[in-house]
Amino acid sequence: MTIETQTKETTLGNLLKDIPRQIESLRSVRETFLTDAVLLGEVPSPTFGEEKRTRLVIDRFRENGLEDPTLDEFGNASGIIPGTSGESAILVMAHADSVFSSETRHVLEVGSDHITGPGIADNAIGLAAVVALPKLLNHLNIQFKDDLILVANVKSLGRANLEGARGFLDTMRRPVRAGVCVEGATQGRLSYSGLGALRVEITLNIPKDYDWASFGAAGAISHLNRLINQLMEIPLPKEPKSKMTFGGLTAGSSFNTSPKTGRLRFEITSEGDEVIDSMENQLKEICEQFSLETGTEVGMETVAKRQNCEIPFTHPLVKTTRSIMHEAGITPKVDPSTGDLNALIRAGHPGVTLGLTTVENLREENETIHLEPLYTGMAQLITLLQAIDVELCEE
Amino acid sequence: MNEEEKNTWLKKNTFHHGEFWDILKLVEEKEKKGLTISLCIPTLNEEKTIGKEVLILRSELMERYPLVDEFAVIDSGSEDKTLEVAGNYGADTYLASDILPEVGDKRGKGANLWKAIHQLTGDIICYVDADITNIHPRFVYGLVAPLINREEIQYVKAFYDRPLNYSSGLRPSGGGRVTEILTRPLFSLFYPELTNVIQPLSGEYAARREVLEIIPFPIGYGVETSHLLDLYHKFGIEAFGQTDLDRRVHRNQTTNALGKMSFGILQTFINRLHAQGKIDQMPDMETFYRRFEVEDGAYRQIVQKVVEEERPPMIEIEGYRTHRASLSH
Repeated sequence: MTIETQTKETTLGNLLKDIPRQIESLRSVRETFLTDAVLLGEVPSPTFGEEKRTRLVIDRFRENGLEDPTLDEFGNASGIIPGTSGESAILVMAHADSVFSSETRHVLEVGSDHITGPGIADNAIGLAAVVALPKLLNHLNIQFKDDLILVANVKSLGRANLEGARGFLDTMRRPVRAGVCVEGATQGRLSYSGLGALRVEITLNIPKDYDWASFGAAGAISHLNRLINQLMEIPLPKEPKSKMTFGGLTAGSSFNTSPKTGRLRFEITSEGDEVIDSMENQLKEICEQFSLETGTEVGMETVAKRQNCEIPFTHPLVKTTRSIMHEAGITPKVDPSTGDLNALIRAGHPGVTLGLTTVENLREENETIHLEPLYTGMAQLITLLQAIDVELCEE
Repeated sequence: MNEEEKNTWLKKNTFHHGEFWDILKLVEEKEKKGLTISLCIPTLNEEKTIGKEVLILRSELMERYPLVDEFAVIDSGSEDKTLEVAGNYGADTYLASDILPEVGDKRGKGANLWKAIHQLTGDIICYVDADITNIHPRFVYGLVAPLINREEIQYVKAFYDRPLNYSSGLRPSGGGRVTEILTRPLFSLFYPELTNVIQPLSGEYAARREVLEIIPFPIGYGVETSHLLDLYHKFGIEAFGQTDLDRRVHRNQTTNALGKMSFGILQTFINRLHAQGKIDQMPDMETFYRRFEVEDGAYRQIVQKVVEEERPPMIEIEGYRTHRASLSH
C-alpha cells in the first residue's frame, strides 16, 4: 500500500466517522429542508412549465446566502457556494420538473413521520436538499475547497429529453471535479451509468375515408391493441440487457363510440446502443406495415434517444459512494439512470445519482416520502461531496 | 364619516401582503419598538393540515426571521393526532381545558382564542385558522405588519382574493356566502361604516393585547362579528386595518354548516344591538346596500339604494273589494 493510498484511506475514514454526527445534526435542523420541500413542492412545475418553481429556487438561493444566483437561457436556476480555493467545481444537480400537470392540486400533507402529495419524492425533496445545502453546510460547519455549483435543472422528464441539463452542461465553462444528481427516490439508489433509451410516441388516426365495412375494420383502440401485440412480439435480446415499457395509452371518451384517434407512449432501454438503433428501425417498419395493412394513419415520433454511457464500477467515485452508503447503513442498489446523469457523463464529467429516502406510491398523487431515513440520505450526500472535495474520487 | 372619508380609510388602512415582503425590516422595526408577537392556532381534529402550518410558519418566522416570539396551538380536545403532530414540529401545545381551569371548559374556537390571551405573552397576538391548505408566511406577516408599523391601528383582519373569472376586468369581490348573504346586509343596515371591512368573517387576524383583553369573546361562530362590533363601538373604524393575503384554500362548508354559522352570528349581532341600545331605540333604517368591486387590483365600495317598499293587504284596497263584490252578484 502506497503512502498516498494510506493517506486517502485515513481521510475517508475520518469522513465516515463523522456520518453519525451529521445524521443527528441534520435531524435537528430538518425544518430547514422540509420547509423548502413543501414550499417548492406546492408550486406546480410540469416539464416545460417550471418557471414559477425555478423563480422560487432563485429567491431561496438568495435568502440562503448565495451571491448572484442566475436563471440561464434554458430556464435552469443555479448558484455557487464559493470554495476556499475555487479552482475547481463540484456540480450538485436536481431536476425541477415534475410529472404532474398544473391542473393537479399541489397540496402536501405534513405528518409526524412523512410528507404526502404529488411530486414530493420526484423531485421536490431532492430539489429542497440542493436549495438548503448552503444553510446545512453552515450548520454542520463544513467548508469546501471547491466551488459547489448548485443547479435546479429544468426540462428533464418525458419529452424534454434532458434538454435543461444538456444545455447547462454544454454552456458551462468551468473545470468540474465531479457531479452528483440528487433524487428523492429511492434511498440506496446508486447510478453510475446512463442507460441507452428510446422514447417513442405512436399516434394512430382513422382517416375520414376509412372503409368501416371492410374486413377487420375497427376503431383506434382495437387497432392500437393489435399494434401493441405486434410490438410485444419483437424479440428483445437478453444480452445486452434490454427492456420495453409501455408508459401511456390514451384513446376515446365514451362507452359506445369508437374513437378515431389514439396515442401510445413507450420506452425501450438497452445496455447496447446497437439494440436501440435497430429497434428504432424495426418500429418504423412495423408502423408503416401496420398503416398499409389496416388503412389507418400511423405516425411514429422518436421523442428521445439516448446512448449508453458510464463510469466504471471500479471508479473511485463509485467506490467511495459505496463505502459511504455502507457506513451510513444504506444497502446500495445499482440502478442505471435514464435521467440527468446521462447528460452529466456524456458531457465528460464523472457522476453518480443518489436517492435520499424511502418512498411509497411514486408518481401517484399520494406520493409519500418517509422522514426518518431522510437524514441518513442527506448525510450520505454531504459526505460524498466532502469526499469529492478532498480528491478521494479521482482516478 | 362621509363617502369620501370612508374611501380614504379604505385606501389608507387596506394593505397587500406584498408591501411587507421584507421581513427582516419588520423584525428590525418590531425590535426597535420593543414589541413581542405571539402566534396562536386554535384546533380541533386538524391533523391533516396542522403539520404543514407549524412547519412552515415556525421555520420561516421564528428560525429564519425572528418575527414571531411564541407559537402555540390551543386545542379543544382533538381525538386525532393534532397535538402530537404540532408538537413534533415545535409548536407549544395546550389543551384549552387546562388553561384557566377555574373558569370552566366551554368548547369552541372562541374559547381557545380567549384563553390564548391568558396563556400567551406577546404584545400582539396573531390568530390563524388551522385548516388553510395553502399556508404561507404571508398569512402572519401580512397581519402583524400594520400593527408594527402604525401605532394607531389596533386590529388587522385578513381578506382574500376569490378567483372568479369574468369577461371584463371588473369582478365582484368580498367574502363567502355567509358574509354576502347575512353579514354585509346586516352591516349595511346597522353599521354602514363596517361594510368597509371586505371580509368581516375571515378567521385570520392580529390585534394588540390591550384591545383583546377588554372585549368579550363568544365561544362559537360569532367571535369575529363580535370583535368588529365591540371594537368599532369603542374605537371607531380608524382602529382597524385589513390586509389582502391573496388566495386562501380551505375546506368547503356544507349549506347546513353555513346555516348553523349564520344562526350563531345572528345571536351575537342581536345581542350587540340590545347592548348598544339599537333594538329599543331603533335608528332610521339605512337604505344603502354596500358591496365591493375590484378593478385592476383596487377595491371600490359600490353603494346601491335598496328600499323595500311595501303594499298593504289587498283587502284594504277599495278597488279590490268592489271587484270581488261585483263577482259575487
